[in-house]
This record gives sequence, C-alpha cells and structure tokens, in this order.
Amino acid sequence: MHLKYESFVREPLITGDKTYAQVTEDICKPIEQKPSKLWYVGFVLSLLFLGFGVFSVFWEVYWGLGTWGINRTVGWGWDITNFVWWVGIGHAGTLISAILLLFRQGWRTGVNRAAEAMTIFAVMCAGQFPIFHMGRVWNAFYVLPLPNTRGPLWPNFNSALLWDVFAISTYFTVSLLFWYSGLVPDFATIRDRAKTKLRKRLYGLASFGWTGTAKNWQRFEALSLVLAGLSTPLVLSVHTIVSFDFATSVIPGWHATIFPPYFVAGAVFSGFAMVQTLLILVRKIYKMEDYITLGHIEAMNKVIVLTGSIVGVAYLTELFMAWYSQVHFEQEAFKYRVFGPYWWAYWAMMTCNVVSPQFFWFKKLRRNIVFTFILSIVVNIGMWFERFVIIVTTLANDFLPSSWTYYSPTWPELGFYLGTFGLFFTCFFLFSKYFPVIAIAEIKFTLKVSGDKYKRDMQRLDAMTTEEFLEEANHAH
Amino acid sequence: MAQKKYWKGLEELENTPEHQQIVENEFQQELPVLGDVSDKLLGAETPRRDFLKFLGFSTLAATVAASCEMPVRKAIPYAIKPEDITPGVANFYASSFVDNGDYAAVVVKTREGRPIMVEGNELSSVTHGVVSARVIASTLSLYDKARLRQPLVKGNPVDTFEAVDTPIKQALAGAGGAVYLLTGTVLSPTTKVVIEQFRSKYPNARHIQYDPVSYNGLALANDATFGRNAIPSYHFEKARTIFSLGADFLGTWLAPNEFNHGYNLNRKISAKNPDMSKHYQVEAMMSMTGSNADERATCKPSEYGKVAAALYQAVVSGAAPKTGSDKLNKLISSAAKELKNNGLVVCGSNDVNVQIIVNAINNAIGAYGNTISWGATSNYKQGNDKEFVAFVDAMNAGQVGAVFIHGVNPSYDYLDAEKFNSGLSKVGLSVSFAERLDETAEKCQYVVPDHHWLESWGDAEPKSGHYSFIQPTIAPLFKTRAFQDSLLTWAGITDTYHTIFNAYWVGKLGQSAFDKALQDGIIVTEAPVASGSFSGAAVDGAIAAVNAYKGNTDGQYEVLIYESVAIGYGGSHSNNPWLLEMPDPVTRATWDNYICMSYKTAKEKFESELTLHNQVDHKKRVLKVTVNNKEVELPVVVLPGMHNDVIAIAVGYGRSKNVGRAAADLGKNVYHFGQYTGTTFLNYNVGTVALTSAFYPVAITQTHHSYEGREIIQEFTLDEFKKDPNFLLNKRKKELGHYTTLHWEGHHDEHGEDKSSAGEQALKHDKDFEKNGTLYPVHEKHGIKWGMSIDLNACTGCGACVIACQAENNISVVGKDRVLVAQEMSWIRIDRYFSGNPDDPDTIQTIYQPMLCQHCDNAPCENVCPVSATNHSDEGLNQMAYNRCIGTKYCANNCPYKVRHFNWFDWNGADSFADNLYQDGRRDDINDDITRMVLNPDVTVRSRGVMEKCSFCVQRLQAGKLAAKMEGRPLKDTDVQVACQKACAGDCITFGNVNDTESKIYKERYEENSERLFYVLEYLHVLPNISYLSKIRNTDAIVAKDKEQDVFQVKNL
Repeated sequence: MHLKYESFVREPLITGDKTYAQVTEDICKPIEQKPSKLWYVGFVLSLLFLGFGVFSVFWEVYWGLGTWGINRTVGWGWDITNFVWWVGIGHAGTLISAILLLFRQGWRTGVNRAAEAMTIFAVMCAGQFPIFHMGRVWNAFYVLPLPNTRGPLWPNFNSALLWDVFAISTYFTVSLLFWYSGLVPDFATIRDRAKTKLRKRLYGLASFGWTGTAKNWQRFEALSLVLAGLSTPLVLSVHTIVSFDFATSVIPGWHATIFPPYFVAGAVFSGFAMVQTLLILVRKIYKMEDYITLGHIEAMNKVIVLTGSIVGVAYLTELFMAWYSQVHFEQEAFKYRVFGPYWWAYWAMMTCNVVSPQFFWFKKLRRNIVFTFILSIVVNIGMWFERFVIIVTTLANDFLPSSWTYYSPTWPELGFYLGTFGLFFTCFFLFSKYFPVIAIAEIKFTLKVSGDKYKRDMQRLDAMTTEEFLEEANHAH
Repeated sequence: MAQKKYWKGLEELENTPEHQQIVENEFQQELPVLGDVSDKLLGAETPRRDFLKFLGFSTLAATVAASCEMPVRKAIPYAIKPEDITPGVANFYASSFVDNGDYAAVVVKTREGRPIMVEGNELSSVTHGVVSARVIASTLSLYDKARLRQPLVKGNPVDTFEAVDTPIKQALAGAGGAVYLLTGTVLSPTTKVVIEQFRSKYPNARHIQYDPVSYNGLALANDATFGRNAIPSYHFEKARTIFSLGADFLGTWLAPNEFNHGYNLNRKISAKNPDMSKHYQVEAMMSMTGSNADERATCKPSEYGKVAAALYQAVVSGAAPKTGSDKLNKLISSAAKELKNNGLVVCGSNDVNVQIIVNAINNAIGAYGNTISWGATSNYKQGNDKEFVAFVDAMNAGQVGAVFIHGVNPSYDYLDAEKFNSGLSKVGLSVSFAERLDETAEKCQYVVPDHHWLESWGDAEPKSGHYSFIQPTIAPLFKTRAFQDSLLTWAGITDTYHTIFNAYWVGKLGQSAFDKALQDGIIVTEAPVASGSFSGAAVDGAIAAVNAYKGNTDGQYEVLIYESVAIGYGGSHSNNPWLLEMPDPVTRATWDNYICMSYKTAKEKFESELTLHNQVDHKKRVLKVTVNNKEVELPVVVLPGMHNDVIAIAVGYGRSKNVGRAAADLGKNVYHFGQYTGTTFLNYNVGTVALTSAFYPVAITQTHHSYEGREIIQEFTLDEFKKDPNFLLNKRKKELGHYTTLHWEGHHDEHGEDKSSAGEQALKHDKDFEKNGTLYPVHEKHGIKWGMSIDLNACTGCGACVIACQAENNISVVGKDRVLVAQEMSWIRIDRYFSGNPDDPDTIQTIYQPMLCQHCDNAPCENVCPVSATNHSDEGLNQMAYNRCIGTKYCANNCPYKVRHFNWFDWNGADSFADNLYQDGRRDDINDDITRMVLNPDVTVRSRGVMEKCSFCVQRLQAGKLAAKMEGRPLKDTDVQVACQKACAGDCITFGNVNDTESKIYKERYEENSERLFYVLEYLHVLPNISYLSKIRNTDAIVAKDKEQDVFQVKNL
C-alpha cells in the first residue's frame, strides 16, 4: 500500500516524530482517558438543546402545525430550509471518504473519520424535518411502499418528496456502512489496548472479531472500494434529488434545470465549511495538530473557494436566465427575491456565499486558523440563507399577488432547529469520546510516505548521488 | 297486460311435487341444535366436536360482547319516522329572511329537521333568488350560543311565560303614561294587524318604527316632491345609465338583494350583444358599489348636495359643473348627457334637501315611470327619525309609561345612546323582545325573547303587492315566544299569532291559493297602481340649502360611518363568526372595524405610508378620532379610493359582552359619530384625527393591491371590445400557438385570418393546447367533465359565495389570530386588485376575481403528493382523500393559485388527540354542541393536519347525478348547482358538464362568449377546469394597462 515516493516539496500530512505506536497512542488517548471538563460542558449543553428540540417538536405535534409560522402561501419555512441545509452539510463527509478515496488523495485520511461522522449525524438531523413537517406524522409510514391492506395503496412514485425518502434513506444506510467498516480495525486496536473488561467486551463486539490478518485487510480494502463506488454517485444524487423537490414544481424560482449541479456544489461548499468548523475545534481540543495540519485546512479551503465560486456563478446564472427567458413570472420572481420584502435574506446569502469565500484566494488567509474558523461559520450562515431564499421568498411572492404573504418563524420552529443542533452535537461529543476521531489504520498508510519524520529521512536520501545511495543500500545489511 | 314470468329452472316451470316440497322447506338440512349432551356424547344430535365448536364460539362471543364497551351516543333514532323526513334526504322550505327592513326571499334546506343552508328563492319577483352573505349566514345565528334561552325578569331567567306575563299585564294596566311599541321597520302585514289589536286594547299605545341606519330623508323628500311619504321602486334592470351619489346599492343601501339582480342584468355582455349599462359613482369612501363603477370620483359627504345640484344644473340647463375637482366636473357633465338614456340617479344621503334635488334630477331625466316607479312602493325602511327623537325626549320627560322594544337596539345604535338610556331608566315598564341580551335588552326590566326567523311563522310585504312568507323550519330551540304572541297575550287576546296569520291569508287568498303561496314562498297580488306627480316647488330651496353646507376645515376630517357588507348595521350579525371572518370586499380586512383612510392622507399626515416592504405588516397605527368631544381610537387601514379629507369607520362593532363571545368588545362603536339635523339622522360628521403611539394588528387577507400587469386578469374597455372582440382570443392563440400546433403539422392558422367562428377557434385552441402542449399522452375524458366559468364583469365582490361555501362545506372559522398569520381556511376567496394612482382617489379602478381550486386536469398538486392523497376523478375533479393525507403541504406550495388550505390546528374537535382543540377566546362558540347543528352532514369535518380545498361541492354533484339516474335520463344543468354558483348575486358563475354541448357552460365557453374566455395562468399547461370571462369596463381607458398611470404597479403596492 502506498508504495510511492512523495517529493519533499509536498507538505507533510503528519507532523512531528511519529511512529506507528505514537499514532495509536495519540489517537486512542482521548478514548481511554476521562473526558475533560470542557467536554462535559459541551455535552450537557448539547443535551439541553436536544431537550428543548424534543419539547418544541412535541408542542408542534400535539397542537398542530399552526404553531409554526408557515401559512397558506408559504407552506414550507424553516423546516425544509433546515432539512436541505443539514443534508447539504452531510455531503462533505461522503465526498471526502468516497471520491477522495477513489482519487487516492492521501490527505483525506486525517479528516475522513470525523467528516463521515458528521455526515451521518447531519443526515440524522436532516431527516427529522421532513418527518415532523407532516401534519399527521403518525401516518408518516404512508410514504413507504409497504404491502398493505388499504387497496393495496402505494405511494405516488411521481412525487419528488417520495424520491427524497429513498434518496435520504439510501444515503444514510451507505454512509453508515462505510463509516462503520472503516471503524472496525480501529475498534480492534482499542480492544487490544483495553485495560477494563467492559471496554474490552464492548469494543470487541464492535470490532466484529477483527484479527488483523492479511485476509482481513484484503477484505477490508475490497469493501472500502465497493462502498466508495456506491457512495460516489450518492454524493451527486442525494442533493440532486433534494433539488428536484423544487425543480420539478411549477413555481417560478423553483422550476429551474440548473438546480441539481447548483445544489450539489452548494452542498459540498457548506459541507466543507462544517468540516472546517468541527475539525478546527477537534484538533485544538484533542491536540491533534500533528494529524490535522494547516495543509489539511488549506486543502479544504481551496475546495471552499472553488465551490463557493460555482455557487456564485449559479446565482448569477439564475438571474441571467430569468431575464433571458423573457418569462414574465420568472423575471418577477427574481425581482421580488432580490428587492422584495426578503431582500435582506438575498443579500445576506450573496455576501456570505459569494463574496466571503473569495478571501481564500490569499494563501495567508487560507492558512489562518482563526480566519478559517470564522469564515467556515459565515459560509454556513450563507448556505442556510440560500435555502431560505429559495424556499421562502419564492413562495411568498408567487403567481397571484393576492395571496402574497410574509412568513416569520415562531419559537417551536426555532426550537426544532436548535434541537437538531443538540442532536448533532450530542452525537458528535459521544463520537469524539468513544470513537477514534482520526482513522488510525488509514492514517498509518500515509505515515511513512507523507509523515514529516519520514520525509526528512527522505531528504537525506534525496541529497545523495546515485552512487552514494547504491553504496548505502548495498551495505545496509 | 300480463306480467312477464321468469323462472329459475325447469323444476319451477314444471312445478313438480318435489319442487313444491323444496320450496316449502327452505332449510333442507336439519339445523344442528344443541340437544341432550348428558347421554352418549358421540351419538347425540350434537356430537362432541360440534359441542366444542359451540363452546368455543359462545366463549368467544361472550368475551367479545363483554369486552367491547359500547359508546353511548346521543343520537335519537327515528323510532316513529316523521312523515316528511327521510334521514339523509334534505327537505326544502320556502321562507323569507326579514331582519328589520332587510329582506330576501329564500329557500331553506333542512336535514333531519335542522336548517343548514339558506339559498335564494328564484321565484321571487323582488329578489330573484339573490341573497347576501348575511342572509346565508343567518343559519349560524340561529344556533348562536348567545341567544337567550328563556325569558328574563330584571336580568334573572324565569322558567315560565306566566312569570313574565302576569307582572307585565299588571304593569300595563297601571301604566301611568303613554305605551310605546318601538320596532324596526315592520314589513309584515299580519304583524301590523296584531299591533292594531294590541292598540285596540291599549288605546294610548303608539307604534314607532326606527331604523338604525335611517332612510327617512328619502321618504321626506318624496313627501316634499310627490306628496308621498314613501320610497318608490327602483328598477335597475331598466337603467342603462346609473348615477349613484354615495349609495352602496349593491352592498348595503336600501335593498341590495333586490338591486343586485337588475343591475347585473345590464352588466352581462357578449360579442353578439356588446352593450352594457354605464355606472357612475360619486362617493366619499370606497364602497363596494363604487369599486364596481365604470366612472368614479370622490367628494366629501358634505358635498353630496353640491354635486347633486351641479348634476341637476347640468341636466336641466347644460351648465358646466363647478365642483372641487376636474375629474368630478368631467364626470358630472358626461353623466348629465347620458342620463337621459334610461338614467337612474340614487343617493345614499339621508339629507332631505339632497334627496329633493336627486328627485328633481330623476324627474328631469324622465326616470319616473321608467327606472323609478310609484306603482309599488319599497317598504324596506319606514323609520321616522323625528318621531323617534320625540319619543326619546318623552321618555326623558317621564311621559312614557311602558315601552316594548322589538328588533332594534337604540342603546347601541342610536347616536345619543346615553340619552336614550337615561330615558329608558325612567320608563315604568320596559320590555324587550331581543333574541339576545343586547345593549338595550340589558337595560329593560323584562326580556321575552322572540323566535329566530327560521323558527317563526310570518310574512312580509317588501314592496307593496309583493308578499312573502316565513315558515318555521325547526321547532324553537329555546323557550322563546313569537313577539306577536306576547303582544296578544298581554292584550288579553286568546287567539295566537298563527291563527290570526292563517285567518288573514286564507281570508285573503283562499286555502288552496294560500297553500300554494306558502309553498312558493311568495305571491304577487295586484297592488293599487298609484303614481306621483312631481312638484318642483321645494327644489330651489333645497339647492340654496345644500350650497350653504359647510364641510370640514383645515386640520379636520369628515368622519363617515358606514355599514360594512358583512356585518351591516349590527344586530345578531355582529356575533356571527362567519361574517366576522368574511373579508370585507374592498379592504379585505376581517374581525375588526378600523379607520379607512386615503393613501395620501395616511402617508403625509399619519406616518402610515404603504410600501412594498411594509404592506405585509399587519400592525397598523392607532389613531384617535374626536367628534363632538367623543373619542374613539382605532387602527388605520389605508384604502385607496378614499377621499383625502374623509375617513370612514364601519358600524356594527364594539358590542357589549352579552351580545356574544365573538362580538364582545371587538372594535369600537361609532354610531355616536352620526348627527341629527332636526329632521333626519346623517351618517357623517366633522372631527379631528390625531396620531397615537399605539399599534394594533388588523387581520387583512390580501395585502398586495396591484396585479402587477400580470396576465391573470384580462380587462378591456367597452370600445376596445366592440372594435376588436377577438383581441383576447387572438392574444391567447398568439401566446400559445406554438404549442397548440405541432410544427410538422404546419402552422396553418398563424398566417391569414381564421375564418371559423370564435367559438370554434376557442374550442380548437383548448383541445389542441391540451394535446400538443405536453410530451405525455392525453387522457380521453368521456362522460361528465365538470367545468366552471366565472364572469368577471358580473362579480361585484359581495362575498355571498364565500359564506355559501362556508355553510355548505363546513369550513372552519379560524379566528383573528390565525387570519393574521394567513392560516385562514376559506375555499373560495375574492381577490381584489386596485390600479391607478393611490395619491389620487379618483383614478382608482378596482377588479374582483373569485379564486378557488381550478380543478386542473394536469394538476401540479397531484403529482407532488407523496401518498397520492390528492388525485383526479374521471369527471375532471381534483379531489382530496382526507384520510390519506399526511400533510406535507407540498401540494399547496406547488399550487399556482394558492387555493389549498391546511388544517393548521384542531379547529373543530375532529382531531384524534385529546384536549388540543384550538381556542382563541372569541371564535370558540362555533364548536358548541348547539352551534355544531349547523354543520352539513354530507360533508366531512376535516381533522387537524390535512389539506383541504374546493371540491366543486362534490356532494351536490353526487346528489344531482343520482336524481338524474333515478329518473333515467342524462344529467341536465338544472340538476346540479354548486353553492357558490347558487349564492352569486350577479349570476357570474356558470357550472356544468363541459362535455354536454347543450350545457350552459359549454355554450358560454364555445358559443356565446368565447371572445372573452381566458384561463388564469393558461401557459403553465395545468389545464384548469375553471375559465374566466374578461372584464369589460364602460369607460375610456384601463388604468392597469398604462404603466405610467398605474402607480400601484410602478411602486409594487
């Protein structure tokens, strides 16, 4: 594996004098120690948010959707905005783990575990919204094509919302499998190091009896490739299908063929921003600076500036197409989007998503941790506004001016959103405490190629002439 | 003829003895009966195995029977079936809605003995089947929880009528002063008989009629000019030119139920007969009638006289009018010329002088004998203001011994209510017949509640010679008594009102004619033809008087009080949640009264400019209006078309707590802003308006005023239409021609004129676009295909359809808080758009567009529902399966017309969750057990969390189809009338089977009015089943088409 020579010009992916043993020690340490006070604070806070979210959802389900601010004209508000936002965030994880794996991008090993975990938690959060935005959530199972005694009565396979059901559940399943299969060798490592019986037993169960034989590794690699192959189209398809919710409608501002690529780019954009936000915290808290280096951060910032620009082009294309189409309703929809009662949302989106990532053209800013952290949050605010703009402003000013309204959220909607943050971070804190946040096995693959120490060794060899090298090689034993 | 005989087999034909035996013995196998089991178990009649079966069965049955607790239901079975009632089949009774002078001939639909729907009686020679929203909503008032349930003595309920009769009789006998009977306008001839009988017992009794909104000036002017203290008949059906000076004759003035029919006859137009009446309106506020006018200008209410005088001069001498504004002058001179063509001038003023001038104009244009006739008088309003004022004075002077009050509520609606109250407290005996404890009844010693009209016998003579009957459709719900019976009892007469009523009519008509009249609900007898001859003696004096009128001065405003179309003068309507939630036709506001103010005044003086960004904000600034030191604080609603110096406030709000939960303290009472001239009450005054720091939310259902030049409305001037009737048709063909004809089939009709008729072209366009505008195959539509056509020319925006739909389809009332956040439920709404310059009220043009589910054949809502809860019937209906709906709201989002409504809360208790009924403290009586009797049992009450929308009254379609099927014939137009169609006063809704080339809808679309046909958002290829007919204005220009002039559009208002 990775029997390749990497030029020392390339930045090392792992800094410090790391050996295999040291890597294992560094990554497993947080799991084996008592968590820090900060961890407890964060975890309790997350639980509180989650609790408030549960209460908000209970309130909504008990009293009815009227407790939300949505109305006869704007039927989707924060609910579907948050759904699309969370799904989008999930995308980076799959992109990193699947597409970068296929492209043999070594730097992914430092971030893929956390990014995949983020994907799974984000999809879990996203899934809450389409479920609880239903007026009669207790009948939610009607969307499943289950054999039934009602006819049998099947769901409507023409509906983009039904495609969502399939897209999201497939995505969740594949992502979970991919993530878990990568965790198996690492769980085995923790099991082998375990000093308590309970830990040994639980991690033993979780590692499915991994012994680390060559056959194990061969199958592991094969499974990784297969799952990567399965996930790769999902990276593109999930948000494409989410965008179909809008693109297949007749509402001007929704009905647009540009939506699938534009949504996917936006999803990767927001996903990478979220990975940045989380990893900058993780590397700080768990002292993983050696594994998640400035190089990683810079690489991801490059993706952000690329996708941010794609998204910007998409926004401008939409405006251009509205003008160029000469469809009156289309033009008006964009007029009200840009200048109408929700003008602030549109300009917030433009500023956060299109203008702000352009700072990453500067290397200094790309490698500035604090700036990156702030910008990663700004980008996600912007991406949230993008979904809000698409969903709410489009509906608020549609075909018949008589039905135009204004939508403002209410506390249960806010609570629901905060609740999903609670869910996300509760999961993430548990993950960071009990799971290795960096893929131990995978990062070891890159250690001897891209590790700082090994590269420095390589530098000495590099400086040798061919004769000297042969001399040393021949006399080494 | 011998009956044909069929036999089941040869055995039956031959009728062998074996067969006979078989026939006799129906059960050929012995039934296994549990016999003696003690002896020889296996040999017994019931062997062991069967025994076990029986044992198993009986154990199970016992378990089931014991464990399933049967819920106790409160239904009472028809153990003895009433003769005329078949459960599930509706009965219809002709009756009459009479609310003081407000009148409509109606047909009441009852189900299982409950009246649930009121519709117009088309046999009526007066109202021609027209009913207003108020009339339809009166079923809800019948079941109002706030109605009194028994008589009251000094505020305490008593169980028997004796408990009130005895003291009242005693008090009457010893009454030390005059006895007054105070009523609203009495239309009933037999009630007048009863009153006479009462007066014969008490000779010092006087009968006074009082109208909260007075028309006394009209009668007095007729007295001055014709010597007749009465109101003549107005024939809008004959009027080709109508000039209304502040009269909202389609909404509230005098008898809108009568006038609507005639007016709308002359607004119907087609290319074959491109002619319509011309309607001029000069008014101070933006009334519903004014919004329908072809030419409209504003003036202050104090200037009505001057405008009338100017018009009079212009008519008589051709003198150029010199009023305040150019537009008004132009309007008056052009009206003066045209009025001679079957003109009719009506005026909403109650000022005798103004009405005298109006009479003079009508005389000068030859209206009398043509558009106005003295052949039959209009009896709707007979109140005498002077008498009433004298009566109040008499009370205060202690000269009144007893007063009986029926139908009116001066403590609330008299302009000097305090004086009335203090007078009332000095009266020895005060009795009210109020059906609820209204402001006056609260202050009376006795309240003996009258029946609701749906529980009563009665009659009415709305116009002389035109009689109309009231028959009970339900036994009285509460311990109430007809007020006539009360009077008779107290006069010591043993006859009941019903016997007097019967005797009167049988005597007059004979039994069989009376029976028929009762069945028809109406009868017209020959009225003595009387005419009046005009005497112009009073005219010059009147002109001199009105020219001396002073209006507001700088810094002051003229304050106009008006009846809103929904609530009217108040009464029981104030507590009717349907009417409270019905958006006002012009302001689109619900649940409140407010200050209507012009755009310019609001912007410049009261910090209430309307902009694109704040129009959606419901918080309205509260202003303080002061008239004669009486202050009222109300929110301001900007209403384009208001005169800049005038504010208008609706009456009927600000009721006391006992009037009902919905009405209690809602809005403010402004009746005291009226004035008394010494002869009549006027509905305006001069006052000041001041800014306050407060804001108040007003629930307005439509906040954007312009249709932004979008092709959702089509309007043309009459000249444009005459010149090029096919303009709209050609425009549609040009826009969509590319999609109606496949390019390989050739563009045959793009070049050269299409020689076929407009109808054929329209039909071909529709068919081709359906087929070729899509990649998908077209579903053939055989059999019935329901369709609706809505004529924008005939829609006046009155809202009767909205209430009819609500009554028919059990649409929930959601309350103000929910309307504020646009969560209302109404299946049909009337979109109202303004165009023109909001700064200049005289430029405003208004258009109404009823909007309901379009039942698209290619419905965008249907394909997005993940569970197929909304789907298409083979009759073209877009239908909802409530049980299947999970409430994703995707369908509503994807509906281009936004006509789908979601059950945001448990509005009505149909939800399966316990204790989560939506309550706001105001609308909640709608869920009372009594009030729920108004629900239509044919229509599901939707539960929380499901989507709902117009079903084209599918229950009526089904009933119509069944009726046709039972008679074994194809369906006809007359079999099916949907609720909104039936309620439409302008007859603007046509409904029927489009596949039937004989149907009205087919003819309207493809034969008679194809030139005006259009579909809203046709280009989307959603293929709506509702078509519209373009609006034709009898004016010079369509403001909305001129972007320069239509400031609403420019400013995105």
